Amino acid sequence: MQPPSKLPPEKLYRTCDPESLAFDTTADLDGQVKPAGQERAIEAIAFGMGIKHDGFNLFALGPNGTGKQSAITSFLERTAPALPIPSDWCYVNNFEKPRHPEALQLPAGKAVQFARDMEHLVEALFTVLPAAFSSEEYQAQEKNIREKFQELQSDAIGSLEEEAAKKNIALIRTPAGFAFAPVKKGEVIKPEEFMQLAREEKDAIEKDIEELKKALQSIMGQIPKWQRETQERIKELNRNIASFALKPLVSELAGTYKTITEAIGYLKALENDIVENFDQFLDKEPDPRELYLGLPPGRLSMKSPSFNRYRVNVIVDNSRTIGAPVIYEDKPACQNLVGDIEHLSQMGTLVTDFTLIKPGALHRANGGYLLVDARRLLLEPLAYEALKKALRTKQIRIESLGQLYSLISTVSLEPEPIPLDVKVILLGDRSLYYLLNDYDPDFSELFKVAADFEDDMPSSEENRTAYAGIISAMVRNDRLRHFDRGAVARIIEQGSRLARDAAKLTTHLQSIYDLVHEADYHAAAAQRPVVLAVDVQQAIDAKKSRSSRVQEKIREATLKNIILIDTDSEKTGQINGLAVYAMGEESFGQPGKITASVRLGKGEVIDIEREVEMGGPIHSKGVMILSGFLGSRFAQEQPLSLSASLVFEQSYSGVEGDSASSAELYALLSALSGAPVKQYLAVTGSVNQYGEIQAIGGVNEKIEGFFDLCRARGLSGKHGVLIPASNIDNLMLRTDVVDAVRDGLFSVYPVTHADEGIEILTGIPAGSPDENGRYPDGTINGMVMARLQDMALKLRKFSATEENGKNRNPVP
Amino acid sequence: MPEGFKNILFRHIAVAIDCSPHSMASLAAAAELAKLMQAELTGIFVEDINLLRMAELPFTHEIRIYTSEPEKIDPSCLERSLRLQAREAEAALEHYAGQFMLRHSFKVRRGMVPAEVMSASTEADLLVLGRSGRSPGCRKGLGSTVKSALAGNAKNILIMRTGFPPSGESMLVLYDGSEASGAALRIARSLLQAGGELHIIILPKTGPDVQIIEKKLSEIVPADMPGAELHVLPPGLDDSAVLARYIHMAGSGLVVLSDRMSLPAETVHSLIGAIAYPVLLVRGPAGVP
Repeated sequence: MQPPSKLPPEKLYRTCDPESLAFDTTADLDGQVKPAGQERAIEAIAFGMGIKHDGFNLFALGPNGTGKQSAITSFLERTAPALPIPSDWCYVNNFEKPRHPEALQLPAGKAVQFARDMEHLVEALFTVLPAAFSSEEYQAQEKNIREKFQELQSDAIGSLEEEAAKKNIALIRTPAGFAFAPVKKGEVIKPEEFMQLAREEKDAIEKDIEELKKALQSIMGQIPKWQRETQERIKELNRNIASFALKPLVSELAGTYKTITEAIGYLKALENDIVENFDQFLDKEPDPRELYLGLPPGRLSMKSPSFNRYRVNVIVDNSRTIGAPVIYEDKPACQNLVGDIEHLSQMGTLVTDFTLIKPGALHRANGGYLLVDARRLLLEPLAYEALKKALRTKQIRIESLGQLYSLISTVSLEPEPIPLDVKVILLGDRSLYYLLNDYDPDFSELFKVAADFEDDMPSSEENRTAYAGIISAMVRNDRLRHFDRGAVARIIEQGSRLARDAAKLTTHLQSIYDLVHEADYHAAAAQRPVVLAVDVQQAIDAKKSRSSRVQEKIREATLKNIILIDTDSEKTGQINGLAVYAMGEESFGQPGKITASVRLGKGEVIDIEREVEMGGPIHSKGVMILSGFLGSRFAQEQPLSLSASLVFEQSYSGVEGDSASSAELYALLSALSGAPVKQYLAVTGSVNQYGEIQAIGGVNEKIEGFFDLCRARGLSGKHGVLIPASNIDNLMLRTDVVDAVRDGLFSVYPVTHADEGIEILTGIPAGSPDENGRYPDGTINGMVMARLQDMALKLRKFSATEENGKNRNPVP
Repeated sequence: MPEGFKNILFRHIAVAIDCSPHSMASLAAAAELAKLMQAELTGIFVEDINLLRMAELPFTHEIRIYTSEPEKIDPSCLERSLRLQAREAEAALEHYAGQFMLRHSFKVRRGMVPAEVMSASTEADLLVLGRSGRSPGCRKGLGSTVKSALAGNAKNILIMRTGFPPSGESMLVLYDGSEASGAALRIARSLLQAGGELHIIILPKTGPDVQIIEKKLSEIVPADMPGAELHVLPPGLDDSAVLARYIHMAGSGLVVLSDRMSLPAETVHSLIGAIAYPVLLVRGPAGVP
C-alpha cells in the first residue's frame, strides 16, 4: 500500500475570492435578507402556517442563533398582512352575575371607540339624570304621590278624630303613637275628676274609647300598606323618569352599534341596570368608602368605583393592526400567556372587578401568530400546561394562579372564556423537541409541524450572495460601517470554518452577527470608513486571544516539559494523539502522549482510562475495536497471547471520544513491532476493526494545536499531522498553518487506512499478506506477527511447564 | 345680609319646638333670622299636660303604628319620653346656636301647649311656630298653638312649614295701603334676597283706591325696583279662598301680611290656614323702623 501524499496548501483552506462577489461594499446591496440554506424549514413553516386544521402548530427546532425567529418573522411579515384583521375583544360587567364578566366581540378597531362611547354615556348621565330628577315636573309628581299618602292617612285619622270629638273624646299624639282621652273644654279630664263620674258615665266613655281604639287600629293596619303602595309608585315614577332620560342616549349608541348583536344586548342590560340604580348618578353625600380609597369628597365622579360597572375593559385593540397579528412573547409566564386577574388593596383587603382583567399574549395573538421560546416556556411554572389547555380547548380561560392554588382567599372572577384561533410557533433546540415528543403525549397532537433548521448550508454562490445580503442587513439595521467585499469574503470563509466544513457555511447567524460587530469596532478603532478584511481577521484573532488563557497555560507547561510531549525524536510504543478542549464557545486542540505496552497475556487490550473510570464509553469502544483489529489480522492461526495496556499520559481529567483510536493502534503496533514512531508527527482519527481510518471532529483545532506547539519549539519541516482522509473537506486551517505548509515546514497527511498511517509514522512499510495470510519480513505487520507468534510460543511453553508442575505436586 | 336688615328690630325671637317636622323647620328658620338680625333666640318646649293627664286615666291605651295590640301607657315612661324630647329640642337649639354664634336660652314648661307657648314668648318680638304640631288631625289646617297665637297678642308670628326658607328668592305681600300692610311690605323687602322676586298683591276697596294705594306703595317700593311685580286684585275682594288661589297662582315663597290691615282679621287668619306657604304675620310697625 502506497502511503498518501501530503496535502497541498490549497486543500487546507478554501478561500472565497472577493472578485467573485458582485459588489464593492455592502452599501451596494439592498439590505434585503433572503432566506438561505433553510429551504426545508421554510417549506415546513409555509405548510404549518397555511394549514388551518387543529393541532398544526409549529415547532421550529435548531441550535440557538440559527435565525429561526428571523426566518419565521420574515415569513410572517410577508404573509400575515394579507390576512384578515381579527376582532377586538373587551370585557364588560355581567349585571346579573358580576363574578362572571362577559366577553364582547367587536369588529377590529371598534373596542376603544365603544369604551369611549360608554364613558361619554356615563359622563352624560351625570348631567341628564340629576336634571331629570330635579325638574319641576318630577318634584311635583313625587310630591303628589307623597301628598296622596299623607292625605289618606290624615283623612282617615281626621274623620276618626271628628267622630271622637262628637263624643267629647280627643285623639292625642303620644311620643310613640296615638291615644284617646275624654276631654272637657279642650282639656283632658283630670284623673280624679274622671273617678268622680258616675259608673254609667265612666262605662260609656270607656266603651266609646274602646270602639274608637278599634277603629284606629284598623286605620293603623292600613298605613304600612299605603306606605308600600306609595313607595312602589315613587319607584315606578323614578324608573319612568330615569328610563325617559336615558333612552335617547342609549338609542343613539344602539344605532351606532346596531350591527353588533352582542353590543346591543349589553346596552339593553346596561339600560336596565342604570334605571334600577339611577340614584348613584344623583348628588349625594360621598360614600365613606370612597374617602378611604383616597377619592376626593364631593360630587360623584367617573373615578368612583361605583361606575366601574359601566366601564369597558378593552382586552384586544386591533385598531392599528395590519393583517393578522404576530406576537412574540419574550417572557411566557402563565399570566403573560393567558392573562391575569389583578387585585387592588383596599383597607387591607384584596378586591377585584372586571376592569382588572389583564390580557395575555394569546389574546393579542388571537387570529394570528404567537411565537414563544420553548425553553423559557418550560421554565415558567404551569405556562406550558396553560398554553396546551388553551390550544386543546380552543379558548382562553383566565384563571388566576393565586386562586388556582388557594394562595389568595378573596372573591375573584371567572371571566367568560374567549374563543381562540391562533397558530403557536415554539422555538427551541432539537433535544427539547425530541424530549417533548417522547415524553409528552399532548405535544405531538398540538405541534404537528416541525421546522428543522439546518446548522449549515452549502457554500454555493447563491448562498454566499445571501450571506453578503445578511451582512448588509446587519450593517443597515445596526448602523455599522459598510463592509468591503474583501471583508465579506473573509466572513464567508469564517462561516465555513464555523461550519467545520470548507464546502459549507454556518447558519449560526449569531456568530456572524458578533463577528460583524467586532470587525466594525476594529475598523472604527483604525478610523476606517469601511470595514476591510484585515478588520475581520483582527476580530477573529482578538476573539481567539481573549479565550486562549487555558490553551496558553497548557502550551507553557508543555514547553517547560512539565507535560511531556516529544516533538523531535522517534520512540517505540509512544505516539502524539490530538485532543480538543471546549472552553465555552471556543475550542482548541492540544497534543497528548499515548503510550502502549505489551506483555504475555490472554489477548486483551487494557484501557487504563477505563479501568480508573476516566474514560467514556465511546473511548472504551474505540479501544475494544483495537482488539478486534488485532484479532482479525493476526490471530487467525493462533491465539492472541498478549496483554496490552494503553494510556493517555498526564491526563488528569476524563477522556471521551474515539478520535484517538487510530493513534492508540499505531502505539500498539509500534510496541509489538518494536518500530519507533516519529514523535514529530501527531495523529487523529478513529479506526474500525478493518483498520480503516474514520472521520473525526475538530480537525482544524487539532492540527492548529500541534502546529502551535511545534512552531513554538521551532519548525524544521518534518513536523506534521495525520488526519483521516475523509476530513479533508473539513479543513479550514489558519493562514499561518497554510503558509507553513506552503513553505514546507509542516505537513498534513490524509490517511484512509491504518497501514498507511503506520508506514508514515515509522517509515517502514506496513506490508500486505500473502495467500497464506502471512506478512513479509521487514514490514510492520510482519514484525507484529512474528512477535505475536513468539509470544504465543512462550505462553504455550509456560503453560505446559506449569501444567507439569501441577501434576507432580498434586493438591492434597 | 339683605339690605336694610340691620335696622330691623327683631331683637328677641322665640320658637316653639316639639320635635315635629314643622317645628324643626321653625327652629331652622328662627335660627337663620336670629343670625341675620343678631337677635336672641329662645326655644320653648312644653310638656303637654293633656298627655300626662291621659296617661293617668285607668283605661288609656296607646296605639302604635307598627304594633297590632294597644299598650297601656305608663305615666313614668311618658314622663321619660317627654324629657327625652325636651333634650332633643334643646340639643337642636344648641346646634344652631353654636353654628351661628347666637345668644340663646331654652325654656321647658308644663301645661296646655298654646297657653304655655304664649306665656313663655311674651318678651319676644317674633314668635316662630310650626304650621301644625303633633296633633294628628290638624295636618291640613293650622295647629292649635298657631290658632291660639293668631287669636292672642303675640307681636309678630312666623308660621313655618317644611321645605321653605324664611328668606328667599320669591316673596309675596298683601298690600292695601294701610300702615300695617306697609310694615309687612318693608319687612318683605328686607328679607328678599338680591335678585329675588317680590310679588305685591294690591287689595283696593274701590276702583279709585288703586291709585292712592299705588302712590303710597311708591314711597316704600320704587317703581323701578328690579324683581317687583304688582298684582292688582278686583276691588272689594275679601274672600280668603279666592285670595289663596291668587297667591298660589303667583307661586310665591314666604307670604308676608298683617291681620291689622283693612282686610278683616278673620279673613286673614282663614287665608293663613288655606295657603300652602310659610307666613309672616306682621302686627303693626313696632318692630320696624
